[in-house]
Amino acid sequence: MRIPITFCALLAAALSAFAQDDVLHAPKTVTAGSSFVVSTSGQGSATFYLLGPSHVAKRTIQLGQTITIPASDLATSGTYQAVACSSSCSTAVIQALPAAPARVSFLLHPSRVPVSRGNAINATAFVFDRYRNTVLNPAKVDFHITLPDGPTMTRMGQTNRGVTWFEMGSTPKQGRLQILASIADVSEPRVIQQVASDACRLHMNAAPAGRYVKLETDPIRDCAGNPLPDGTIVSFTKIDNAGRSTVDTPIKKDKASAQFQLSGNARISVACGVALGNELSVGGRQ
Amino acid sequence: MKTFLLGAAVFVGAFILLARESTTIPVSAATLPKVVLHAESIAPRAIEQRTGEMVTHDYAQAWQDFATCVDANRTDLLNELFTGEAKTRLTHLIADQRKAGLRTHYEDHGHEVKAVFYSLDGGEMQLEDTAQLEMQVFDGQKMIYSATSPRKYLVLMTPGPDRWYVRALESVGDDAF
Repeated sequence: MRIPITFCALLAAALSAFAQDDVLHAPKTVTAGSSFVVSTSGQGSATFYLLGPSHVAKRTIQLGQTITIPASDLATSGTYQAVACSSSCSTAVIQALPAAPARVSFLLHPSRVPVSRGNAINATAFVFDRYRNTVLNPAKVDFHITLPDGPTMTRMGQTNRGVTWFEMGSTPKQGRLQILASIADVSEPRVIQQVASDACRLHMNAAPAGRYVKLETDPIRDCAGNPLPDGTIVSFTKIDNAGRSTVDTPIKKDKASAQFQLSGNARISVACGVALGNELSVGGRQ
Repeated sequence: MKTFLLGAAVFVGAFILLARESTTIPVSAATLPKVVLHAESIAPRAIEQRTGEMVTHDYAQAWQDFATCVDANRTDLLNELFTGEAKTRLTHLIADQRKAGLRTHYEDHGHEVKAVFYSLDGGEMQLEDTAQLEMQVFDGQKMIYSATSPRKYLVLMTPGPDRWYVRALESVGDDAF
């Protein structure tokens, strides 16, 4: 099967190449989304085909006349074949090049990131023309970065095969970090939420009250001073004559609190995520 | 269908991943076109061996699905490994072919694929493919076009839960890369 197909392919290619100069005359390159004209020679009617990467068209033509290929037939960049068949087929190959940059597809990762993390944020931008063809020529993309505390800065990227990327660290202040990718007159905004990092200098105070002890932390913040969000779990652990007991409680309004019943002297510790706080010794009734 | 092909057919395809360290890892699969993936110059992150094997396999499978679809003017197989703009365009092409009474037959003699971009978050991979294809277009029973020249494609693949999808498959000129 392979031999006949290969033979036919070569034969047809040879015939096409022979006939190409005679019957069809088309530009070698055109811009995607633009119309162009194919001139023909000869006499009589023929069937004309436009064979493209995502579109084919077929119509009857009169040889010797020109054929106008509408812009809508050429939206996709890539290789097209114009074919005219009467008793034999003639071919002209046309390369449709991407049009000017008109769209940017912008990917920013991750959506939430702890503050002060090196190279924790990465951005990728793909540049397309208005027909969603990848723009192969280098194009400049501006990334306008607005930090949580207000200032903005701009990074410039140049595409290679339609793509450019960069990475950056998160900044010390929590909040909304916006990056706007711009090319020509189009922009694509993306937002990352910078959140507090791990707790820092975690400290609790104890207030004995008879058989009980009430515990409350100082406001819990990361090392840059950002308050940890409400709902973050803080663990208080007590070891006394009754054994070991742990209470997991969420931060409310920057602080976490708990209450233990004591059985003799107790050692109480506090932790939040990977951060360990102070440890207290509390005396209680036997 | 895919399981059947992988399990029952004769092993004729061979995939070779030329990883970043230029090691060669042969992977076999059934009846698929030959794909050789070069990943020496990929950036900004390196490609893991298993990822390279999956990309290689899924890209070969995608080409087989594509060839089957444009030969029979069916679109069902496009759901397996194509997504986004690639799927939209191929669906459109097949609808046009069906309308015009055309079909396209590919003899796939293999793909030299160079992985050039792999995003830091692992969400996108760009490939440059130089494919050795025989392409024949038929109007009914009549062959109206045939070509055997190499073709170049710029490919964007993105990962799904259990496979890599072809998101963009764009034919480019000979001098594109």
